[in-house]
Amino acid sequence: MSTSSPRRSRKPGELALAAALVVPIVVVMGGLVFWPLATSVLDSFYRIDPMRPGTPFVGLANYGSLLADANTRAAWLNTFAYVAMAVVLETIGGMGAALLLNRVKHGRQWLLAITVLPWCLPPVVNAIVWMWIFNPSYGLLNHALLWLGVIDARKVWFNDQATALFLVSLVHVWRMMPLTAVILLAALQSIPRDLYEAARLDGAGPIKSFRLVTLPLISSGLAIALSQSTVFAFNLFDEAWILSGSSLDTRSVIIQVYLTAFQNLRFSSGMALSILAMLASLMVSLIYVLRVYRETRYD
Amino acid sequence: MRSLISTLPRRIGTAVAVALLVAWSLGPIYWSLVTSLTPPLHLLGTPSLWPREITFEHYAKLVGATSVSQGNAVQSVWPQFSAALVNSLVTSGLATVVTVVIAAFGAYAFVRLEFPGRDLLFVAVVATLAIPAYTVMIPLYRLMISLKLIDTYTGITLIYVSAFLPLALWLMRSVYQAMPISLEEAAWLDGAGRIYTLVHIVLPLSAPGLIASAILTFLNAWGQFMVPLVFSPTLATKPLTVLIPEFVTRNYIDFGLMNAAGILAIIPPVLLVLFLNRYLVSGLMAGATK
Amino acid sequence: MKRRDFLASALTLPLLAAFAGSAFAADTLTVLLPPWGTLPKEMTDRFAKDAGVTLDAQTLGWDDIRTKIITSMVAGTAPADATEVDWSWVGQFGSAGWYEPLDDKIDKTVVGDIPTASIFRYDGKLLAVPYSNDFRILIYNKAHLDKAGIKAPPTTPDELLAAAKAVKSAGIAEYPIGLPLSATEGTSTAWYLLTKAFGGDLFDKDFKPLFTAKDSGGYKALAFEIGALKDGLIDPAATGLKDVEVHEVFKAGKLTFDVAGWAGNLSVYSDPAKSQVANDVAAALMPSVTGKSRTFGLPEAVGIPTGAANAKAAETFITWLNMPQNQIAAYETLGNLPPRMSVLRTLNEQGKLKQGDVLLEQAAVVEPLIAQGTPGWYPQFSTAVASAINQAAKGQLGVDEAIAAIAKAAEDAQSN
Repeated sequence: MSTSSPRRSRKPGELALAAALVVPIVVVMGGLVFWPLATSVLDSFYRIDPMRPGTPFVGLANYGSLLADANTRAAWLNTFAYVAMAVVLETIGGMGAALLLNRVKHGRQWLLAITVLPWCLPPVVNAIVWMWIFNPSYGLLNHALLWLGVIDARKVWFNDQATALFLVSLVHVWRMMPLTAVILLAALQSIPRDLYEAARLDGAGPIKSFRLVTLPLISSGLAIALSQSTVFAFNLFDEAWILSGSSLDTRSVIIQVYLTAFQNLRFSSGMALSILAMLASLMVSLIYVLRVYRETRYD
Repeated sequence: MRSLISTLPRRIGTAVAVALLVAWSLGPIYWSLVTSLTPPLHLLGTPSLWPREITFEHYAKLVGATSVSQGNAVQSVWPQFSAALVNSLVTSGLATVVTVVIAAFGAYAFVRLEFPGRDLLFVAVVATLAIPAYTVMIPLYRLMISLKLIDTYTGITLIYVSAFLPLALWLMRSVYQAMPISLEEAAWLDGAGRIYTLVHIVLPLSAPGLIASAILTFLNAWGQFMVPLVFSPTLATKPLTVLIPEFVTRNYIDFGLMNAAGILAIIPPVLLVLFLNRYLVSGLMAGATK
Repeated sequence: MKRRDFLASALTLPLLAAFAGSAFAADTLTVLLPPWGTLPKEMTDRFAKDAGVTLDAQTLGWDDIRTKIITSMVAGTAPADATEVDWSWVGQFGSAGWYEPLDDKIDKTVVGDIPTASIFRYDGKLLAVPYSNDFRILIYNKAHLDKAGIKAPPTTPDELLAAAKAVKSAGIAEYPIGLPLSATEGTSTAWYLLTKAFGGDLFDKDFKPLFTAKDSGGYKALAFEIGALKDGLIDPAATGLKDVEVHEVFKAGKLTFDVAGWAGNLSVYSDPAKSQVANDVAAALMPSVTGKSRTFGLPEAVGIPTGAANAKAAETFITWLNMPQNQIAAYETLGNLPPRMSVLRTLNEQGKLKQGDVLLEQAAVVEPLIAQGTPGWYPQFSTAVASAINQAAKGQLGVDEAIAAIAKAAEDAQSN
């Protein structure tokens, strides 16, 4: 990338300036993220269990036992389902919201504030509001569907795994979609208007100009939005925990990490699982980034 | 000039889309509001779209001087609530300012300046987005203890910055990359320095990106739970997200109180978004394209 | 240039931060407790005056305290000078050696007055002293039984089922029995309680499961729960209900029996401001097949983590908390049932205890869930129990399969 970018001949002092601008990043990320991460990765090769004496080196044993554990496998499958549903729904919904916000002329700032509201609600309150909506006896969902005639008897939504996974994802999507919308809106805002004008003069309709102008120019924003929704979906915890506890139907990988490390005190095993979760979300994100990310400069 | 007839379907489409978006976003919030206004004894009944009987007792518990619990007059939770509200504002605000400043200047270096290890460093920083909080929590706790930063605004702010900097940095980098270099080149030809160009030409043009980064960082920090749970043991720095679950008493989940607290908690970020939003959608790019 | 100053200050902020740590005064006692352990200001002021130490009370939500304690202890520091210790953590915290033994520090006559203190012994050492008593008792809606023509509360599980059927067929309550069936701890503890009601126990002295045979208490208890669910005596929605949500349903007058009732809840149920059944609620001894009622204790206690900066003051605090007048004050302001039997009796004589006679009678037979003490693997086992019961209630597992899954979970939890 750097080789293709047009560049000024290096001025004296450029390196010093770069250092001054980058040092805060290196200090903060190095001290507060990379160093703790390295410690945890190292710990995951030992047996760290406060209930047993000693911390012997066990190599990959923690990782090996995770592969053999049926509960962990179930948690992985649930998490993949969450990621797939959350990423698709958040991207489609967020793109729609961003395009709409970009187009609306009157009261746009109010519409944006309304769009962002779900994200402002404290996560615990969010999960509890939905818990009441899904409540089989007193919840809005059953009453509304009965009234509309969609169902003829009250449903216990979380008794069916597929429905439960979808509803947990829905709560997550409701909260996180504004993030995608804000990122895409910022990207849309930086597209110069004359490009659309030019496309229109070339006879491109709205769909064609979206494909030819909008998509390429927001591709880096889209990569960011896709990656962050993937990462947040891999880290899903509150929604599943509050809506259905440790149920195997909805247990996510991070819930399994919590149970392993903070409930069963198998600390290094929990760290190993959380590192695997990190690698998995990195790998999935990388797929988008490589596919979607293109350098978009026009100079 | 197009006729009204030909734009009518488009207008109706837009109106329907706006209505859907508003209903989707506000529906559950409205439901939370209704719950916060419903007397506790009416919570378990057939749900109705508006409360049959409105009570402000949950809000009174939050903001009043005293309230009644289990038949006893007890101190209201307002002192805790207001302290936590201030903590949420201070930590999220500080984290936002520091993150956006570091990201705005740092991302510029990643786009326009050459230095060894540039791309590797960028990828490494962005990759940390994927780290679950649990992975680093215990080593981070040891570090914060040794720096004596537990239960300080500085400590919480630093952790938030380290958590939200990658996203802001990535966003700002993509914004700078999309910006025509010709504008800067014109300024350099006039003899302007890098910093001058960055501050006076690049940053104003990047306003939508800066504001989006600020909103993202602020709201991410506002909703944090795990970090303050461990690093903010007392009301010196404890935010609303950690305080609100404490309204679950052992015998009794105070749904009304939790929802009332939630409704009050969304006001400050919404005001901020309304305020910042002027800059996010004010079409500042107009200057770049004329 | 102004902006450059701003940049410079942003750059130096992290450096300054290193010097801005807060200092703790030596005569402060930090205490980490859940909301119901947070004493009113009047009491903490009195403690400060009595002990000459300022009390710095830190409150955290129930689930979160444990995360906080474990993070701190694994990182090698005490989370506070005195903290909450739940009965279910005793095995873990004991085997990790995280809490100071209190045998020589707390008056023996006080400990002797607290029957549930034995639950907090690990390896014979007392790790924490209870501040809040809790055990399970049958709570029922007397008006429902009256309307159904039932004179006395049930004393056996069969009578309980019969009464529930009568209430249901009379149309008084659609689902008369309240039991949580979600994948949460309350589901597990309800099953343990019913296991005892059916005359069984979870484990023998070698921690071998005693619930696998078809005629065992544990098997019958699970069959009872699933049967009642299938007969429409338990709401199908119970698969999503935690214990505290079952309580809400009982307070709304929609349940006849809160089978795994919390002793401390009687004061909430009979409060007209909180409950629609305030005048109808009553308590009875846990039904039993043997004629002798059994129940188990789930008390909460305060302990001193190793490495606490101000362990001496923490000791004073625990002693102070156990004084009769302070236990009574905590009961009156926070609803914590006093752990000391002598205090409970005093309260009952003064007529301050709701359903006091039944409470005292049940309190006298409180036993620990597991006779040899809570083992370190209990939390893992208990989570698996809740998940298996939840699956059985959703129809994903039969009773036999669920029991087998629980037995396997016990084996897995112990083998690690």
